[in-house]
Amino acid sequence: MAKVENGLVRTARLLDLVPYLTTHQGIAISELAKTFGTTIKEITDDLNTLWMCGLPGYTPLELIDLEFESGFVSIRNAETLATPRALDRAEALSIYMGLDLLSAELSSSTSNLVSQIEDLQEQLRAQLISAPQVQIEASLASDLRAIILRAIRRRGWLEITYHSAANDQVTLRKIAPYELSQTGAHEYLLGYCQSAKANRNFRADRIVSVIEITDQHWPTSETADSGETLKVEVKVHAATRQVLEAFPQLTGDAKTTTIAGFSQSWISREILSLGGQVESTSPTAIRASIKDRAISALNNYH
Amino acid sequence: MSRKNERLVNLTIALLATKRYLTKNEIFRNVEGYEGSAEAKERMFERDKDDLRKLGIQIEVGGLDPLFDDEAGYRIRPESYSLSLRDLTATQVTLLSLAAQAWQDAAFTDLSQQALRKFNSVGLENDLSQLPVLAPRLNGADENLRSALEALTSLTTIEFEYLNVQGQSQPRQLQVYGVQARQSHWYLIGLDTAKSAIRNFRLDRIQGDVGTIGKAQSYSIPSDFEIAELEPIIETPLAVLKVRPGAGYQLRRLATKTETADDWDLLEVPIFDLEFLKSLVLWHGDDVIVDSPTQLRSEVIKSLESLVNLHG
Repeated sequence: MAKVENGLVRTARLLDLVPYLTTHQGIAISELAKTFGTTIKEITDDLNTLWMCGLPGYTPLELIDLEFESGFVSIRNAETLATPRALDRAEALSIYMGLDLLSAELSSSTSNLVSQIEDLQEQLRAQLISAPQVQIEASLASDLRAIILRAIRRRGWLEITYHSAANDQVTLRKIAPYELSQTGAHEYLLGYCQSAKANRNFRADRIVSVIEITDQHWPTSETADSGETLKVEVKVHAATRQVLEAFPQLTGDAKTTTIAGFSQSWISREILSLGGQVESTSPTAIRASIKDRAISALNNYH
Repeated sequence: MSRKNERLVNLTIALLATKRYLTKNEIFRNVEGYEGSAEAKERMFERDKDDLRKLGIQIEVGGLDPLFDDEAGYRIRPESYSLSLRDLTATQVTLLSLAAQAWQDAAFTDLSQQALRKFNSVGLENDLSQLPVLAPRLNGADENLRSALEALTSLTTIEFEYLNVQGQSQPRQLQVYGVQARQSHWYLIGLDTAKSAIRNFRLDRIQGDVGTIGKAQSYSIPSDFEIAELEPIIETPLAVLKVRPGAGYQLRRLATKTETADDWDLLEVPIFDLEFLKSLVLWHGDDVIVDSPTQLRSEVIKSLESLVNLHG
């Protein structure tokens, strides 16, 4: 659907206000404005407009009867518009996709809900002109997300089982979670990690399980130091898509860049994974580490 | 502007309430707000019809009586105007609300909120106590995701610049059939019109903005098209990898078969993307050995040799 211009947004809101008010008699104007994502002034204008609308004839018998002087709204005589409008196609698609994620996140133990979701999806599909295919995979199971969000809200600690990419190990860590956020393609949990004694980002899709710890307080003040970072110079030998995605900071014809990380092991592995398309030029310790790892891997084949 | 909104609401009410088709003259006589010359009213009415249609309201034209050489009449059927999800239960309203909330801060926030208000107008209270604690979240604030989804709902062909494996941008034209969120990436799937073949495109590999070409509803999605069936058609080859016990967590997650042994575990990993698998094998250094296929094995060896040369 093309973007609806401003005036029509208003018309849509007028039409959608009637069924909402019908089922929410006595709602406060301020709450109504919040629900419809607009200002109290706009909503009051809307109510004044609706008050002039009704069936042909437009006598008090035909007009919509609204009361809102008290700051609370009630509506009568609006049966014609009282049922909520059908979803438009883009709305239907947005809900369809949300349901798809929901069913991906629900475990099979709640199969009754999954079948209800499928039923809703089937009905929504009928409203899309040509049924699109949607397949959504969850980056974090819904129950894990719920525990994490609750811990953030309550400022509680978590014990997470995490697959660490740097050393390819699954470890237990105690963290004070601050936020879940999206960076690039991945979702991250930012938190203060007790074993690293610093703030760390954890990739959401590598969190295996989560346990809430209730009897520990959040780290106070600036215990959360970011730790020492390692800077490595990299020379690009082939600017392939893989290389450009590994180093988004590479622009234009730049042939060198610097990468920073906490662990020598992680950086070495990143460069190994690009298989000779890039070279680390300094420090020498990293160069040596990459060479040793490559030789040792090669020896497996001899 | 408020006069016009008022007229549109009044027109909607009149067309919804009528049991028969209303002619234009009846509309001009009875619906509040049509003023001016016959020509002006006519223009006003044409624009109003367009506007209501843009809002997704279907105006039915009919009532031509052959005996009377009648003029056309208009009405809106209540069943097409109203939300048609049948017999919603409180649990279903809750599921729909959660689905709408999944778009929080993502591409379809406003649309899903609009839909949510409609669900909440049904008059059923959310019943969260019936559900386990859930908080689904769709990630994707990318403006291009929204453009692509809008093109998908209106069936409009899109065009964009796409980064190929060599790292170069190439123009592509796509009729979107579906979307997929897999391993933290959004993919658009559809007909690549230049290649006349089904292709998928990773959203973040699109350079710049997604544009549209041509009109809406310029294609249809083949009814037998199924993403779920797409992968088995192109038979996925398997790589056999030797992995040290305790290592290779990411590879183990991808594996379809794992045999444990004393010094090396044997994993079968489907090769969806050779470049990706090669890079993952390299990442694991001496913890992984490629057994087969030979192509992957020799490419890994070649890459390792080049790494040794570069860092020697």
